[in-house]
Amino acid sequence: MDEIAPWEQLVRGTALHHFVYLYEPWVWPTCEILHYIGLSLLLGTVGLFDLRVLGVAKGIPPATIHRLIPWGIGGYILNVLTGIVFFSGHPDQYFYNNAGRLKALLMIIAGINIAAFYGSTAFPEMTKLPAGADAPTRIKVIAGVSLAMWVGVLICGRMLTWFRPPFFH
Amino acid sequence: MDSFLAFVEGSDFSTWIRGDSMLAFPTIITLHTICMGILAGASAAIDLRILGVASGIPLGPLRRFYPLMWLALAINALTGVLMVIGYPTKQLTNPLFYIKLSLVALAVWLVYRIGADVLDAAKSGEKALTARAKGLAAASLATWGGLIVAGRLLEYTHKWELLGIRALT
Repeated sequence: MDEIAPWEQLVRGTALHHFVYLYEPWVWPTCEILHYIGLSLLLGTVGLFDLRVLGVAKGIPPATIHRLIPWGIGGYILNVLTGIVFFSGHPDQYFYNNAGRLKALLMIIAGINIAAFYGSTAFPEMTKLPAGADAPTRIKVIAGVSLAMWVGVLICGRMLTWFRPPFFH
Repeated sequence: MDSFLAFVEGSDFSTWIRGDSMLAFPTIITLHTICMGILAGASAAIDLRILGVASGIPLGPLRRFYPLMWLALAINALTGVLMVIGYPTKQLTNPLFYIKLSLVALAVWLVYRIGADVLDAAKSGEKALTARAKGLAAASLATWGGLIVAGRLLEYTHKWELLGIRALT
Protein backbone atom coordinates (compact mmCIF):
# COMPACT_ATOMS: atom_id res chain seq x y z
CA MET A 1 0.00 0.00 0.00
CA ASP A 2 1.39 3.37 -0.98
CA GLU A 3 -0.12 5.65 1.60
CA ILE A 4 -2.43 5.34 4.56
CA ALA A 5 -5.85 6.94 4.08
CA PRO A 6 -6.66 9.93 6.34
CA TRP A 7 -9.37 8.00 8.26
CA GLU A 8 -6.91 5.21 8.99
CA GLN A 9 -4.27 7.70 10.13
CA LEU A 10 -6.91 9.10 12.48
CA VAL A 11 -7.67 5.62 13.90
CA ARG A 12 -3.97 4.86 14.25
CA GLY A 13 -3.52 8.10 16.16
CA THR A 14 -5.98 7.21 18.92
CA ALA A 15 -4.96 6.21 22.42
CA LEU A 16 -6.94 2.97 21.98
CA HIS A 17 -4.84 2.02 18.94
CA HIS A 18 -1.62 2.59 20.89
CA PHE A 19 -2.99 0.62 23.83
CA VAL A 20 -3.84 -2.37 21.60
CA TYR A 21 -0.48 -2.08 19.83
CA LEU A 22 1.39 -2.06 23.13
CA TYR A 23 -0.50 -4.87 24.89
CA GLU A 24 -1.74 -6.91 21.92
CA PRO A 25 -0.49 -10.33 23.20
CA TRP A 26 -3.03 -10.30 26.03
CA VAL A 27 -5.53 -7.63 24.92
CA TRP A 28 -6.37 -9.45 21.69
CA PRO A 29 -7.10 -12.93 23.11
CA THR A 30 -9.00 -11.39 26.05
CA CYS A 31 -11.23 -9.41 23.70
CA GLU A 32 -11.71 -12.48 21.51
CA ILE A 33 -12.89 -14.48 24.53
CA LEU A 34 -15.35 -11.70 25.42
CA HIS A 35 -16.44 -11.48 21.76
CA TYR A 36 -17.24 -15.22 21.73
CA ILE A 37 -19.12 -14.99 25.04
CA GLY A 38 -21.10 -12.07 23.56
CA LEU A 39 -21.92 -13.95 20.36
CA SER A 40 -23.10 -16.97 22.35
CA LEU A 41 -25.40 -14.78 24.47
CA LEU A 42 -26.75 -13.06 21.36
CA LEU A 43 -27.29 -16.26 19.40
CA GLY A 44 -28.64 -18.11 22.45
CA THR A 45 -31.26 -15.58 23.49
CA VAL A 46 -32.27 -13.86 20.24
CA GLY A 47 -31.90 -17.17 18.38
CA LEU A 48 -34.22 -19.08 20.74
CA PHE A 49 -36.80 -16.27 20.53
CA ASP A 50 -36.61 -16.31 16.73
CA LEU A 51 -36.96 -20.11 16.68
CA ARG A 52 -40.04 -19.95 18.94
CA VAL A 53 -41.65 -17.38 16.62
CA LEU A 54 -40.80 -19.69 13.70
CA GLY A 55 -42.65 -22.53 15.42
CA VAL A 56 -40.09 -24.46 17.51
CA ALA A 57 -41.12 -25.08 21.16
CA LYS A 58 -44.59 -23.65 20.63
CA GLY A 59 -45.48 -24.48 24.24
CA ILE A 60 -43.58 -21.33 25.20
CA PRO A 61 -45.53 -18.03 24.95
CA PRO A 62 -43.26 -15.78 22.81
CA ALA A 63 -43.54 -12.85 25.27
CA THR A 64 -42.00 -14.95 28.06
CA ILE A 65 -38.95 -15.98 26.03
CA HIS A 66 -38.64 -12.37 24.85
CA ARG A 67 -37.63 -11.55 28.45
CA LEU A 68 -34.24 -13.11 27.64
CA ILE A 69 -33.54 -10.46 24.98
CA PRO A 70 -31.83 -7.96 27.37
CA TRP A 71 -29.08 -10.61 27.79
CA GLY A 72 -28.73 -10.74 24.01
CA ILE A 73 -28.47 -6.93 23.93
CA GLY A 74 -25.79 -7.21 26.63
CA GLY A 75 -23.91 -9.68 24.42
CA TYR A 76 -24.30 -7.34 21.45
CA ILE A 77 -22.91 -4.37 23.42
CA LEU A 78 -19.98 -6.54 24.57
CA ASN A 79 -19.30 -7.40 20.94
CA VAL A 80 -19.54 -3.81 19.72
CA LEU A 81 -17.05 -2.74 22.41
CA THR A 82 -14.59 -5.55 21.69
CA GLY A 83 -15.17 -5.00 17.97
CA ILE A 84 -14.07 -1.37 18.41
CA VAL A 85 -10.88 -2.67 20.09
CA PHE A 86 -10.18 -5.01 17.13
CA PHE A 87 -10.88 -2.29 14.57
CA SER A 88 -8.73 0.27 16.39
CA GLY A 89 -5.86 -2.20 16.57
CA HIS A 90 -5.84 -3.19 12.90
CA PRO A 91 -8.27 -0.96 10.99
CA ASP A 92 -7.00 -1.95 7.52
CA GLN A 93 -7.52 -5.63 8.24
CA TYR A 94 -11.27 -5.03 8.56
CA PHE A 95 -11.92 -2.08 6.26
CA TYR A 96 -10.20 -3.45 3.15
CA ASN A 97 -11.86 -6.81 3.63
CA ASN A 98 -14.91 -8.03 1.72
CA ALA A 99 -15.92 -10.29 4.61
CA GLY A 100 -15.73 -7.25 6.91
CA ARG A 101 -17.83 -5.16 4.54
CA LEU A 102 -20.45 -7.89 4.15
CA LYS A 103 -20.50 -8.27 7.94
CA ALA A 104 -21.24 -4.53 8.32
CA LEU A 105 -23.97 -4.77 5.66
CA LEU A 106 -25.63 -7.75 7.39
CA MET A 107 -25.53 -5.88 10.71
CA ILE A 108 -27.27 -2.91 9.07
CA ILE A 109 -29.96 -5.23 7.65
CA ALA A 110 -30.33 -6.83 11.10
CA GLY A 111 -30.75 -3.33 12.55
CA ILE A 112 -33.45 -2.38 10.02
CA ASN A 113 -35.16 -5.70 10.76
CA ILE A 114 -35.13 -4.93 14.50
CA ALA A 115 -36.63 -1.49 13.77
CA ALA A 116 -39.32 -3.16 11.64
CA PHE A 117 -40.14 -5.47 14.54
CA TYR A 118 -40.32 -2.99 17.41
CA GLY A 119 -41.52 -0.04 15.32
CA SER A 120 -44.54 -1.82 13.83
CA THR A 121 -47.56 -3.68 15.15
CA ALA A 122 -45.48 -6.89 15.00
CA PHE A 123 -44.16 -6.44 18.55
CA PRO A 124 -47.51 -5.84 20.35
CA GLU A 125 -49.03 -8.62 18.24
CA MET A 126 -46.26 -10.99 19.35
CA THR A 127 -46.78 -10.20 23.04
CA LYS A 128 -50.41 -11.35 22.76
CA LEU A 129 -49.55 -14.78 21.35
CA PRO A 130 -50.37 -17.50 23.90
CA ALA A 131 -48.64 -20.85 24.34
CA GLY A 132 -49.25 -23.10 21.35
CA ALA A 133 -50.10 -20.22 19.00
CA ASP A 134 -48.66 -20.01 15.51
CA ALA A 135 -47.15 -16.57 14.79
CA PRO A 136 -48.45 -14.58 11.79
CA THR A 137 -46.30 -15.00 8.66
CA ARG A 138 -45.19 -11.35 8.83
CA ILE A 139 -43.62 -11.87 12.26
CA LYS A 140 -42.12 -15.19 11.15
CA VAL A 141 -40.38 -13.43 8.26
CA ILE A 142 -38.83 -10.93 10.71
CA ALA A 143 -37.65 -13.80 12.96
CA GLY A 144 -36.23 -15.67 9.96
CA VAL A 145 -34.36 -12.58 8.74
CA SER A 146 -32.99 -12.02 12.26
CA LEU A 147 -31.74 -15.59 12.52
CA ALA A 148 -30.20 -15.52 9.03
CA MET A 149 -28.49 -12.15 9.63
CA TRP A 150 -26.88 -13.09 12.95
CA VAL A 151 -25.63 -16.42 11.63
CA GLY A 152 -24.40 -14.54 8.55
CA VAL A 153 -22.60 -11.99 10.74
CA LEU A 154 -20.90 -14.88 12.56
CA ILE A 155 -19.85 -16.52 9.27
CA CYS A 156 -18.43 -13.21 7.98
CA GLY A 157 -16.60 -12.71 11.27
CA ARG A 158 -14.93 -16.07 10.91
CA MET A 159 -14.15 -15.41 7.25
CA LEU A 160 -12.31 -12.14 7.99
CA THR A 161 -9.05 -14.06 8.31
CA TRP A 162 -9.21 -15.42 4.78
CA PHE A 163 -10.23 -12.12 3.16
CA ARG A 164 -7.51 -9.98 4.70
CA PRO A 165 -6.00 -7.45 2.32
CA PRO A 166 -2.65 -8.54 0.86
CA PHE A 167 -0.93 -5.47 2.30
CA PHE A 168 -2.12 -6.31 5.83
CA HIS A 169 0.54 -5.20 8.27
CA MET B 1 3.23 -41.33 19.55
CA ASP B 2 5.34 -38.94 17.49
CA SER B 3 5.53 -41.30 14.53
CA PHE B 4 1.75 -41.66 14.72
CA LEU B 5 1.30 -37.87 14.75
CA ALA B 6 3.70 -37.63 11.81
CA PHE B 7 1.73 -40.31 9.97
CA VAL B 8 -1.57 -38.47 10.48
CA GLU B 9 -0.09 -35.06 9.73
CA GLY B 10 1.56 -36.35 6.57
CA SER B 11 -1.61 -37.91 5.18
CA ASP B 12 -3.35 -36.46 2.14
CA PHE B 13 -6.51 -35.78 4.14
CA SER B 14 -4.63 -33.86 6.85
CA THR B 15 -2.78 -31.87 4.20
CA TRP B 16 -6.06 -31.05 2.47
CA ILE B 17 -7.60 -29.78 5.73
CA ARG B 18 -4.64 -27.41 6.24
CA GLY B 19 -4.58 -26.44 2.58
CA ASP B 20 -5.91 -23.51 0.60
CA SER B 21 -9.39 -24.87 -0.09
CA MET B 22 -12.13 -22.68 1.37
CA LEU B 23 -14.11 -25.90 1.86
CA ALA B 24 -11.42 -27.19 4.21
CA PHE B 25 -10.28 -25.35 7.34
CA PRO B 26 -12.30 -22.11 6.86
CA THR B 27 -15.58 -24.03 6.47
CA ILE B 28 -14.76 -26.48 9.26
CA ILE B 29 -13.93 -23.79 11.82
CA THR B 30 -16.91 -21.64 10.79
CA LEU B 31 -19.30 -24.58 11.34
CA HIS B 32 -17.55 -25.24 14.67
CA THR B 33 -18.15 -21.62 15.73
CA ILE B 34 -21.82 -21.51 14.61
CA CYS B 35 -22.59 -24.73 16.47
CA MET B 36 -20.65 -23.51 19.52
CA GLY B 37 -22.89 -20.43 19.51
CA ILE B 38 -26.04 -22.54 19.20
CA LEU B 39 -25.08 -25.10 21.86
CA ALA B 40 -23.40 -22.79 24.39
CA GLY B 41 -25.90 -20.01 23.70
CA ALA B 42 -29.06 -22.10 23.99
CA SER B 43 -27.71 -23.96 27.01
CA ALA B 44 -26.76 -20.64 28.68
CA ALA B 45 -30.22 -19.22 27.94
CA ILE B 46 -31.82 -22.27 29.62
CA ASP B 47 -29.38 -21.87 32.55
CA LEU B 48 -30.39 -18.23 32.94
CA ARG B 49 -34.06 -19.23 32.99
CA ILE B 50 -33.39 -21.81 35.74
CA LEU B 51 -31.48 -19.16 37.71
CA GLY B 52 -34.52 -16.90 37.62
CA VAL B 53 -34.20 -14.76 34.48
CA ALA B 54 -37.38 -14.64 32.35
CA SER B 55 -39.08 -16.85 34.91
CA GLY B 56 -42.32 -16.79 32.88
CA ILE B 57 -40.84 -19.28 30.39
CA PRO B 58 -42.38 -22.71 31.04
CA LEU B 59 -39.50 -25.15 31.62
CA GLY B 60 -40.97 -28.25 29.95
CA PRO B 61 -41.21 -26.89 26.38
CA LEU B 62 -37.56 -25.75 26.51
CA ARG B 63 -36.86 -29.45 25.89
CA ARG B 64 -37.90 -28.81 22.28
CA PHE B 65 -34.61 -26.99 21.70
CA TYR B 66 -32.62 -30.08 22.70
CA PRO B 67 -32.61 -31.83 19.28
CA LEU B 68 -31.05 -28.70 17.75
CA MET B 69 -28.49 -28.55 20.57
CA TRP B 70 -27.58 -32.25 20.13
CA LEU B 71 -27.24 -31.67 16.38
CA ALA B 72 -24.88 -28.77 17.08
CA LEU B 73 -22.89 -31.04 19.42
CA ALA B 74 -22.65 -33.75 16.75
CA ILE B 75 -21.41 -31.26 14.15
CA ASN B 76 -18.86 -29.90 16.63
CA ALA B 77 -17.60 -33.38 17.45
CA LEU B 78 -17.15 -34.03 13.72
CA THR B 79 -15.55 -30.66 12.92
CA GLY B 80 -13.42 -30.98 16.06
CA VAL B 81 -12.08 -34.36 14.90
CA LEU B 82 -11.37 -32.88 11.46
CA MET B 83 -9.35 -30.05 12.99
CA VAL B 84 -7.36 -32.53 15.07
CA ILE B 85 -6.63 -34.51 11.88
CA GLY B 86 -5.50 -31.25 10.27
CA TYR B 87 -3.21 -30.24 13.14
CA PRO B 88 -2.58 -33.37 15.26
CA THR B 89 0.77 -32.26 16.72
CA LYS B 90 -0.44 -28.77 17.50
CA GLN B 91 -3.56 -30.06 19.25
CA LEU B 92 -2.51 -33.30 20.91
CA THR B 93 0.73 -32.01 22.42
CA ASN B 94 -1.05 -29.05 24.01
CA PRO B 95 -2.25 -29.66 27.60
CA LEU B 96 -4.98 -27.08 27.01
CA PHE B 97 -6.54 -29.42 24.45
CA TYR B 98 -7.20 -32.00 27.18
CA ILE B 99 -8.59 -29.36 29.51
CA LYS B 100 -10.96 -28.30 26.74
CA LEU B 101 -11.97 -31.91 26.09
CA SER B 102 -12.69 -32.45 29.79
CA LEU B 103 -14.78 -29.27 29.88
CA VAL B 104 -16.73 -30.49 26.83
CA ALA B 105 -17.51 -33.75 28.64
CA LEU B 106 -18.62 -31.83 31.74
CA ALA B 107 -20.72 -29.35 29.72
CA VAL B 108 -22.46 -32.15 27.80
CA TRP B 109 -23.16 -34.06 31.02
CA LEU B 110 -24.66 -30.88 32.54
CA VAL B 111 -26.85 -30.25 29.47
CA TYR B 112 -28.07 -33.84 29.69
CA ARG B 113 -28.72 -33.67 33.46
CA ILE B 114 -30.55 -30.33 33.20
CA GLY B 115 -32.77 -31.78 30.45
CA ALA B 116 -33.54 -34.98 32.33
CA ASP B 117 -33.67 -33.71 35.92
CA VAL B 118 -34.91 -30.13 35.62
CA LEU B 119 -36.86 -29.70 32.37
CA ASP B 120 -38.50 -33.15 32.31
CA ALA B 121 -39.30 -32.94 36.03
CA ALA B 122 -41.11 -29.66 35.34
CA LYS B 123 -43.16 -31.43 32.66
CA SER B 124 -44.38 -33.98 35.15
CA GLY B 125 -45.68 -31.22 37.38
CA GLU B 126 -42.83 -30.40 39.76
CA LYS B 127 -43.00 -26.66 40.25
CA ALA B 128 -40.24 -25.53 42.59
CA LEU B 129 -36.74 -25.16 41.23
CA THR B 130 -34.48 -26.91 43.69
CA ALA B 131 -31.10 -25.66 44.84
CA ARG B 132 -29.65 -28.60 42.90
CA ALA B 133 -31.26 -27.34 39.68
CA LYS B 134 -29.78 -23.90 40.23
CA GLY B 135 -26.43 -25.46 41.04
CA LEU B 136 -26.47 -27.41 37.77
CA ALA B 137 -27.38 -24.24 35.83
CA ALA B 138 -24.63 -22.18 37.48
CA ALA B 139 -22.10 -24.98 36.84
CA SER B 140 -23.24 -25.13 33.22
CA LEU B 141 -22.76 -21.36 32.73
CA ALA B 142 -19.29 -21.53 34.30
CA THR B 143 -18.32 -24.52 32.14
CA TRP B 144 -19.36 -22.77 28.92
CA GLY B 145 -17.34 -19.74 29.98
CA GLY B 146 -14.32 -21.94 30.65
CA LEU B 147 -14.80 -23.75 27.36
CA ILE B 148 -14.83 -20.52 25.39
CA VAL B 149 -11.62 -19.41 27.15
CA ALA B 150 -9.95 -22.76 26.44
CA GLY B 151 -11.18 -22.87 22.83
CA ARG B 152 -9.95 -19.38 22.07
CA LEU B 153 -6.58 -19.85 23.75
CA LEU B 154 -6.06 -23.15 21.94
CA GLU B 155 -5.45 -21.04 18.86
CA TYR B 156 -2.53 -19.29 20.58
CA THR B 157 -0.60 -21.70 22.74
CA HIS B 158 1.09 -24.60 21.05
CA LYS B 159 3.43 -26.70 23.10
CA TRP B 160 5.68 -27.36 20.13
CA GLU B 161 6.02 -23.65 19.61
CA LEU B 162 6.62 -22.88 23.26
CA LEU B 163 9.30 -25.57 23.44
CA GLY B 164 10.83 -24.47 20.19
CA ILE B 165 9.84 -27.72 18.46
CA ARG B 166 9.12 -27.10 14.82
CA ALA B 167 5.79 -28.15 13.39
CA LEU B 168 5.98 -30.87 10.79
CA THR B 169 4.53 -28.59 8.16
